[in-house]
Amino acid sequence: MNPMNRLELYTEMVRIRQYESRILQEYHGDKAPAWDIGAGLIPGEMHLSAGQEPAAVGVCAHLKKGDAITAPHRPHHFALAHGVDMNAMTAEIYGRTTGLCKGKGGHMHLFDPENHFSCSGIIAQGYPVACGQALAMKRRGTDNVAIAVAGEGAANQGAFHESLNLAAVWNLPVVFVIEDNDWAISVPRSDSTATTSNADRAAGYGIPGVRVENNDVEAVFEAAGAAVDRARAGEGPSLIEVHTLRLWGHFEGDAQAYRTDLETVDERDPIPRYAQALLASGDLVEEQVQQIAEAADAEVDAAIQFSLNSPIPAAEDALLHVFA
Amino acid sequence: MHESSTVGIIANPASARDIRRIVADGGSVTTHDKLSRLRRVMSGLGSVGVRRVISMADRGGIMAGLLRASAGVSAKGWPTLEFVEQPVTHSPEDTTTATRAMVEAGVGSLVVLGGDGTNRLVASHSAETPLVSMSTGTNNAFPRPVEATVAGMAAGLVATSEGCRDAGTYRAKKLEVRAGDRLEQALVDVAISEDGSVGSGALWDVADLSELFLCFAEPGSIGLSAIGAHMQTSSRRSKTGLHLVLSPQSPTRVLAPIGPGLVSAVGVQSASVLEAGARQDPRSPRGVIAIDGERMVPFGPGNRPSVTLRTNGPVVVDVEATLHAASSEGLLRSVARGSPLDDNSNTRTKKQTAEPWEVST
Repeated sequence: MNPMNRLELYTEMVRIRQYESRILQEYHGDKAPAWDIGAGLIPGEMHLSAGQEPAAVGVCAHLKKGDAITAPHRPHHFALAHGVDMNAMTAEIYGRTTGLCKGKGGHMHLFDPENHFSCSGIIAQGYPVACGQALAMKRRGTDNVAIAVAGEGAANQGAFHESLNLAAVWNLPVVFVIEDNDWAISVPRSDSTATTSNADRAAGYGIPGVRVENNDVEAVFEAAGAAVDRARAGEGPSLIEVHTLRLWGHFEGDAQAYRTDLETVDERDPIPRYAQALLASGDLVEEQVQQIAEAADAEVDAAIQFSLNSPIPAAEDALLHVFA
Repeated sequence: MHESSTVGIIANPASARDIRRIVADGGSVTTHDKLSRLRRVMSGLGSVGVRRVISMADRGGIMAGLLRASAGVSAKGWPTLEFVEQPVTHSPEDTTTATRAMVEAGVGSLVVLGGDGTNRLVASHSAETPLVSMSTGTNNAFPRPVEATVAGMAAGLVATSEGCRDAGTYRAKKLEVRAGDRLEQALVDVAISEDGSVGSGALWDVADLSELFLCFAEPGSIGLSAIGAHMQTSSRRSKTGLHLVLSPQSPTRVLAPIGPGLVSAVGVQSASVLEAGARQDPRSPRGVIAIDGERMVPFGPGNRPSVTLRTNGPVVVDVEATLHAASSEGLLRSVARGSPLDDNSNTRTKKQTAEPWEVST
């Protein structure tokens, strides 16, 4: 891995973190009463991805034009890492007409046909969709790949198993990504899952399964690179499970009283740890730490300003651009 | 056999799951398969009189699976099962913490399920406790192939019989690696890679390797030690190792299975015997040190590494030699007195009523 790759991985992780940190602030800034998720400038539920940046950045670093991602209800990190326009995405989160779905989808429904990015609040439902995308890519004879992302809780859904099976049978160019953040909302993995690694489940469907420990962006980068290359070469699907970290609550407003690992959460934050490693290796110098964060802040500020300046959909347009 | 004994078990829940499932044809050893092997180990241990087992705590399914199995009917005859009281960190630290606790508890042997990496961690803290290493990893030169039931019997025999311990164990070598403040040890190989990244750890590409230090190089092995084995063999029982300088330009090429499904022709510039105690300084000014196949320690001019072969590695159980010793001592036979098969080699005296493999209490 060359120094440029490393700096790019770090910069993208910081960009995502600054984004999520600002959305966190903005979301809570004007909620009155605090428990009313419909109140304020950002309406609806909010699932932020802080701590899970290594998964998105390590995977998306290998994607190119025409590659597709289906993300789950916690989608911002994959959207940003995949190149979804920050302005249009933020406007969607704010419910404005300039948003990806003209302000009618909100943060869990970011659809960007240009970049083949989509997400859904329905658990594991991105998996079958990715199989469909991969089938289309294969039939068109492209070397594009589809990336399906879900959490470890989602891997207990039928859609997960059916997708692995079908992708294996049809040898589809899809990479299944499981973000194992230890918690399915408030349920620890051990209470719901008969196996300890979804790499084992991949073996059950005859496809390679890899588990990446320690939320390590370079390890994700390598594993994802190998899986994407394999898919592009027509060798079929793989599964990569990333043991990652949910730095904050399941949703904004989650008091996390159930969480037994809160004490050690901050020390497991992957971004300061990676910064330390890069400073030590000389791939990053002290001044850059500040510069990278400031550049990200400026981009986020502009996206929020763009959103605030955009119109709210008119009531008479409620039935336009909706399909159900 | 004279007294009831305790055996330790360390089973790495994370082994056989790394990137070599994709970049090579690494096999999958699922948690369920590891548990099946552990159940066989428990039966083997119980059959030769081990009464107590201490196992590593984990949240990767091993502890939970063992507890569930130990409550079942098939666990009849198993030793009692305890777990080390330890914080579970999902890191290599769990293995070293458990090893230290077991050595302190005075276990008679340690059964290790994992690959070369797991064994390396255990061996760094196992002191004089003999290791029975079973392969559930990806590249395994250190653990030899062995059936789990038999491995359990051997671990039990070494723990309960001095004769078996004497005849069935030997002391392995190790490579000591120093770089700056870090001190690491390898049981099989130390490789110097000129690509400075640690990445996902596992090493499968030999193109960037410049030097190789080997504890042993035995034909029939897989991994980096096979490169040495096909150049100049070095037995795991000998007192010396092997040092190779690699170069893609070298006209001398060695065909070696360096990973599952990966057979490479590797350019070797020189091969020489590595004497124990003689400190070696790798030539590359910067890069990363891979220890037993895992890229671990980045180095540069500020922390130039050194490598030294030592003959005081872990005590290792040779499963076949152990069973051989047990058989010679009559520990696995009970012959009726006066029967045509009674050759008096059975150590049972008149007063003893238990079978030789049962432990008197």
